[in-house]
Amino acid sequence: MSLLKIENASFQYGKSTIFQNISFELGSGSIFCLFGPNGCGKSTLIECILGYLKLSGGSILLNNQSISSYRPAELAKSISYVPQSHAKNFPYTVKDIVLMGRAAYTGTFSAPSAEDIAIAESALESMGLTAIKDKPYTQLSGGQTQLVMLARALTQETPIILMDEPTAHLDFRHELIILETIVKLIKENNISVVMATHFPNHAFYFENSGIHTQVALMNNQALEAIGSPVEVLTEANMLKTFKIHAKLMTAQTAGEKLVRGLIPIEVSS
Amino acid sequence: MDSIKKSIIFISLLLAPLAAIFISLLLGRYPLAPTTVMAVILNHLGITSFGTPDTAASIVMNIRLPRSILGALVGASLAVSGAAFQGVFRNPLVSSSILGVSPGAGFGAALAILIFTNNSLMIYVFAFGFGILTVLLSYLIGRSYNTTPAIMLVLGGTIVSSVFSSLISLVKYLADPTDQLPKITFWLMGSLASASYRDIMIAGVPMMLGIGGLIAIRWRINILSMGDKEARALGVNLGLLKGILITCATLATAGAVCVSGTIGWVGLIIPHIARMLIGNDNRLLIPVSLSLGACYLMLVDNVSRILTGSEIPLGILTAIIGAPFFVYLLKRKAGGWA
Repeated sequence: MSLLKIENASFQYGKSTIFQNISFELGSGSIFCLFGPNGCGKSTLIECILGYLKLSGGSILLNNQSISSYRPAELAKSISYVPQSHAKNFPYTVKDIVLMGRAAYTGTFSAPSAEDIAIAESALESMGLTAIKDKPYTQLSGGQTQLVMLARALTQETPIILMDEPTAHLDFRHELIILETIVKLIKENNISVVMATHFPNHAFYFENSGIHTQVALMNNQALEAIGSPVEVLTEANMLKTFKIHAKLMTAQTAGEKLVRGLIPIEVSS
Repeated sequence: MDSIKKSIIFISLLLAPLAAIFISLLLGRYPLAPTTVMAVILNHLGITSFGTPDTAASIVMNIRLPRSILGALVGASLAVSGAAFQGVFRNPLVSSSILGVSPGAGFGAALAILIFTNNSLMIYVFAFGFGILTVLLSYLIGRSYNTTPAIMLVLGGTIVSSVFSSLISLVKYLADPTDQLPKITFWLMGSLASASYRDIMIAGVPMMLGIGGLIAIRWRINILSMGDKEARALGVNLGLLKGILITCATLATAGAVCVSGTIGWVGLIIPHIARMLIGNDNRLLIPVSLSLGACYLMLVDNVSRILTGSEIPLGILTAIIGAPFFVYLLKRKAGGWA
């Protein structure tokens, strides 16, 4: 059964079409990677699923009900969000930021309860952030900040997390830490993820980790291909969409596991 | 450890305005001993019947007490709404008059003086009404595409402020230079000199409503300060919450400005000082700004009463006293305003 279903979605800013005829489904405990060049509309689509922007046409169904019929707090109990970059305006403590994940569960005129605080504490714990919970989050590195954003989404206790390039600007190690954390969330908490990414190897990484992974190649305002990573992230599609030559490689790890990855070779002239 | 320290700061800052009111009752051209003031207050409450001079009783109960209560309310209103606006606009340089309340109220007061010359009730009504009107205009200009982005609101506020500033000049130009013009000029500089219980009854209502509302939604201000997209993803009804916040902050500011005139700086520096003391969590920041704002305005008003024979307008003193102190704090924190 699909948790989230996007049907013939289209979006326009004034007269310019950002995307159209987008359809896909997200199953429980799986990841859906939105993959495509800059400006293809990935972020806009994610903002529509969040309820922040409204589709010009088509529908987004959450549990078979249009998200436009959900009140903001109700939607936020099902879908949380990890932004690409987060503007830090005030030096809140890490704990305060994570606690904000409980907003959907508290009334407009009330403050978080002891139970809310306990949920935030356990999210901090599972992200390994307990040691820095009283630190101003403005002092954190990019990688730590993304872990805080993940902890906040976890505190929101939603079955779905939307992520907009969660590893942008991160170094090699922190990128992998975030990816491992996502895998852990999907496997242990049965969370489903929609993730916009620029890296084909993210999709392969999830597949290599044994998660049900779907990829959509978004280009020219539409989904040009949709399916498993091997079906979509082909050498032919890389040439067509990005005009680059790439090589799909398969290797065997020490644990006899087969892993796949896409290696870029050269820009096609 | 840290939380104990915070709660000590918290409790003492909440008790501070009461102490400041008491001190204000002692000070002035006619200094009173703490014992006399205590006796007057206890007599008035019907607890005791000490013999106190009639002048002392009259000064404390009819002049100094309403003035310090009004000062506390005005200071608290400006500081709390400044802190709330800084949160929603995600900008530490924003103050309580960002959406044009002050020039709007200033124009209303000037217009009332032009029409009625000496009707203080009409001055309140006009100042309050035009204060609200300017914010409404800023909001309508800023509203676009079914939403109200912060930058559009700020631009709306800037446009409306400059229009109403020009209108103030127009009214001044038309005013009778012998009695109306000086009255307008002094009103615009800000003063609590004519404070009475009636002022507290009239302007106290919007100020208390505004402050109360902002205290009630203070945790949500944290969430609004994450930006529209994230706040929405966290489950906030953006239109509703921003509407409540702007309404409350505007009621508080317009209520303050209509009885005290234009008093700058309080809504900008007090929230900053509170941030340095207690951090940025609005759950603490709003109550602490309230307390500090109340104390600060009473302090400035006391200086205004005592320093020279004729009173120095408050708007001048808030900046002259506040600015150096603010510079000192900024330097000490090495520019880390928060």
